[in-house]
Amino acid sequence: TAAAPRPWRLFGAMCLLRLPRITQPLEKEEEEMAALMGQIELERSHYSDHEMRKLEEEEQLRRRKESTYDDDEAPGKTVIMAQDLEDKWEQKLLQFKAAPRITDADKNNNRTSLDRRLDSNLMLLVKQKIGNQELWLLPQAEWQPGETLRSTAERAMATFFGDHIQAKILGNAPYGIYKYKFPRAIRTENNVGAKIFFFKAFLQSGDLSQAELKEDYLWVAKDELGDYLKLEYLKKVNRFLLD
Amino acid sequence: SSWLPQTVPFRGSHWQTSLLVFRASLPMRAQPKKKKKVDVKREQAQKDRMKKKIKKLEKAAPEMVPIEDFATPLKYSDSNRVRSLPPLSFEETERRVLLMKKWCLFKQKQDKAEKKAIQTLVEAQQEALKELRLESEELYQAAIRRDEGLLPFERDGPNYTPPLPGYDPPEGKCVDITKVYTQ
Repeated sequence: TAAAPRPWRLFGAMCLLRLPRITQPLEKEEEEMAALMGQIELERSHYSDHEMRKLEEEEQLRRRKESTYDDDEAPGKTVIMAQDLEDKWEQKLLQFKAAPRITDADKNNNRTSLDRRLDSNLMLLVKQKIGNQELWLLPQAEWQPGETLRSTAERAMATFFGDHIQAKILGNAPYGIYKYKFPRAIRTENNVGAKIFFFKAFLQSGDLSQAELKEDYLWVAKDELGDYLKLEYLKKVNRFLLD
Repeated sequence: SSWLPQTVPFRGSHWQTSLLVFRASLPMRAQPKKKKKVDVKREQAQKDRMKKKIKKLEKAAPEMVPIEDFATPLKYSDSNRVRSLPPLSFEETERRVLLMKKWCLFKQKQDKAEKKAIQTLVEAQQEALKELRLESEELYQAAIRRDEGLLPFERDGPNYTPPLPGYDPPEGKCVDITKVYTQ
């Protein structure tokens, strides 16, 4: 039996998100509050063993300086003071150099790299040909009868990435929809327009050196989407993107 | 005559019939029977009492396991451990109160924004599902189906700095000293 002709063509698009790797910087109020909480904690606390030891040793030193020749301990015995320990730990901390939060990709504004803007979500945009225009879109593929929309979106991802991509798709249901009617020139009774269903996925693997992206691609954050997407499309996409 | 001097081992008593048999002190068979019964009874009574005690112990409710985090060790309640700091000035208390109020407002706004974002998310999904239903019922049913592979979802949270490539953390041994209580 022939399937009923659909007036709307269906597409499945995949919004692939690279989750943030570092924490976002604190707001001003958050920093002030953190400082206040630290202060209150200090005021309400008692001395710890290390601090008691430090106080006692300071007492001892003071007494030794005041009295001329106080020989409490046997000479020749080297005692490690708590202050020395603290200095040693401080030195060790200064020797350690952590990786920088602002990477080279940030400085060069290399939008194709995944190392940019480690504190926000990055999503994949691909340049696709729709009709006779080349547009920046989330990777999409046309639905074929016999598959679910989720598998359409997976296929769309596979066509752009090959099989070496590891992504966790969040559920079977679409997150958003963008529908548009074709321009009057190509619109017919049975071909009114297209409905694009968006699915969300989290990128699991860290490196994509294995994957070969065929078309032009970009990894952009939510606030940079406006530079690339059309207005109506952007409005629909922004609805299901949390900051 | 065939009478030869034989050395017959002398029998100690007329109760002992043969030398090779176990030589029990006589007269064994004549022990009074009362003692045995009383003994047996006493032992039985003791066993019953023990069993009753065991049952009582088992019936009693299990002891509560003490939570060690809630019990402050005594060495920390010493008075010389109290920190000595100058008292807070009036300006400082004022500053703190104002900061708490600002924080309250900040968190309220943040919470409202989060809830609004989640609301738009849910609305967008409902709209998409509605449109899908208009299109085709079977695709809709496939979309509503529960995704078994999604949960449990695991993710390593964001750190303060990105991982350093080629970093070799120092070796160390962790000794677990938690106390385990058995019921």
